[in-house]
Amino acid sequence: MGVPAVEMQGLERVYRSGRSTVAALAGVTMAVERGEFVAVMGPSGSGKSTLLNILAEAALARHRARRVGMVFQAFNLLPRYRVVENVALPLAFAGVEPAARHAKARALLERLGMAARAEHRTNELSGGELQRAAVARALVADPAILLADEPTGNLDSASGATLIGIFEELNAHGQTVLLVTHDAQIAAHAGRIVRMRDGRIAE
Amino acid sequence: MRWADLFAMSLGNYGRARLRSVLTTAGVAIGTALVVLLIALATGAEDNVRRSVFSIGDLRLVTVQPFQPGANGLSAVPRTITDEVVAQLRRIGHVESMFRQFDAPLGTIVEGGDDATIRPQGIEPNAPVDRGDLLAGRHLALGDRAVAVVPGNIARLIAPSVASAIGRRVTMRIGGAVKLGSTRIGGSGTPRDYGITVIGVFDEQASGTSVRIPLDDALAAGADNRGLTPDTIKQSTGYSGIAIEADDSTNVADIVRGVQELGFSSFSLKQVIEQIDQGFGVFRGILAGIGGVALLVAAIGIANTMVMSVLERTREIGIMKAVGASPRDIRALFLAEAAYVGAFGGIVGVALGIAGGQVIERIIRNLNPRTNPGPIFVVGPDLILAAFALAVVVALVAGFLPARRAMRMSALSALRYE
Repeated sequence: MGVPAVEMQGLERVYRSGRSTVAALAGVTMAVERGEFVAVMGPSGSGKSTLLNILAEAALARHRARRVGMVFQAFNLLPRYRVVENVALPLAFAGVEPAARHAKARALLERLGMAARAEHRTNELSGGELQRAAVARALVADPAILLADEPTGNLDSASGATLIGIFEELNAHGQTVLLVTHDAQIAAHAGRIVRMRDGRIAE
Repeated sequence: MRWADLFAMSLGNYGRARLRSVLTTAGVAIGTALVVLLIALATGAEDNVRRSVFSIGDLRLVTVQPFQPGANGLSAVPRTITDEVVAQLRRIGHVESMFRQFDAPLGTIVEGGDDATIRPQGIEPNAPVDRGDLLAGRHLALGDRAVAVVPGNIARLIAPSVASAIGRRVTMRIGGAVKLGSTRIGGSGTPRDYGITVIGVFDEQASGTSVRIPLDDALAAGADNRGLTPDTIKQSTGYSGIAIEADDSTNVADIVRGVQELGFSSFSLKQVIEQIDQGFGVFRGILAGIGGVALLVAAIGIANTMVMSVLERTREIGIMKAVGASPRDIRALFLAEAAYVGAFGGIVGVALGIAGGQVIERIIRNLNPRTNPGPIFVVGPDLILAAFALAVVVALVAGFLPARRAMRMSALSALRYE
């Protein structure tokens, strides 16, 4: 057994709408070990995104956002900043001075094959490039775990394949990754697949 | 987050919605300009009044008057200033010198004809009224008897020129009927004539009827007029007033209090100036309040703009939080943006206020070239700093609630906001 990066025990979340209640999560117990690449799979409504959100919220609530790096389906880059500034943003909030944070951002962009795009505006990038920039931003503060919510959802299959390749490569270098997807082909790249259905882990 | 990054980022936010930022800033600028303009107007008016009060006389002077101040709305009660009272006054702290004054009954300078009505003031040498306003001759001196310092207009009635009046012997008739302006009044007692020598002529701007004579002459004339002796008139009528000079104008209030404790009324320019200051404080407050309303409207504009801006940037706030911005970072970003509105608005407003004041002043002087030469609008460095600070503070207060709203947004629900 390795050391857990994240551990969940009997996680529940109930949404109330009017009189009826919907259990988005009905008792989930799982752990992600350090260095692991886990894909959570399931149809929409299975609770997989809720699971990820709870992890993110927990990290944010404790002001430990720098311990998790987040990648979203919708990229969520800030259009008025250059790519390198977007990538360096977490370090700006951490109080790192501009020269140092931009150097680190450029190094990461280069590692993800994005060096040529560093000075561009986000509206000049393709979807695949945007998502790679978003991954660079998620990694810039050296998070303990990378949380990715349907990262290939808005990408064509070629860009999706490149991105998942990047995840594999990062994981090969020791990065812990927790990926949520409904795409079996994407999930197949993970070291371990957790299937969810109706708010529970399926097997 | 570093301050430099905070200000760079919020400046970027400020510059992004350009038209909206410009309009909001213009609101603050107009409010600030109005505050500057109105306070400058009040300050200018106050300066003008103070200048003219200062030109009247000495701030160290307290005049003791022969009555007791009336309590709450009651009229003053006459009181006699006897030599005993003079001795008591002399014991008040910070009194540097004292001058008794006795006004003899009205009279005329016979050689000057009907129009030469005089009010003989019996004063001591070097009394504050008899200083530095001579057109010719000299002031009263110790040991003088049967002499007078007369106003310029009287001098010209008895001699061809002011200078030729000096040394002239004239008859001073005290008591009896006199002409005051165009009316004749009965006057008091039996008229009696005294021969006097004119030793000085003063500028009649101070008074066209006062004739300064030695105190003892005035007491004797007053006593003669009522068939008394100078000693009894000192006891029964008392002095007309006592001029007290303080060792320093800052101690005038102490002397005024001492005089009041003895039960006498007093008058001092210093008190007048304090009352003027008080009055102008209210005036300035009212004007600043009017300007403040403009600034308040601008503040509501800022708050409105910021609320819109927070709503519009919900997603951006979510992203920032998701990548590690603390709630305090978010609040600081929005507050800094509000501070920019206040700072730019403040700078433009102060400049606008100063320029506006100059334009208005020029227009007024063109319309009426004989306007008081003192500046109408007075803008000091303290007003500039205070107006600027006010603009920034108002902007920060206006930005506080929207900033807090941004701070409290949940990151992930903000990200889902479209």
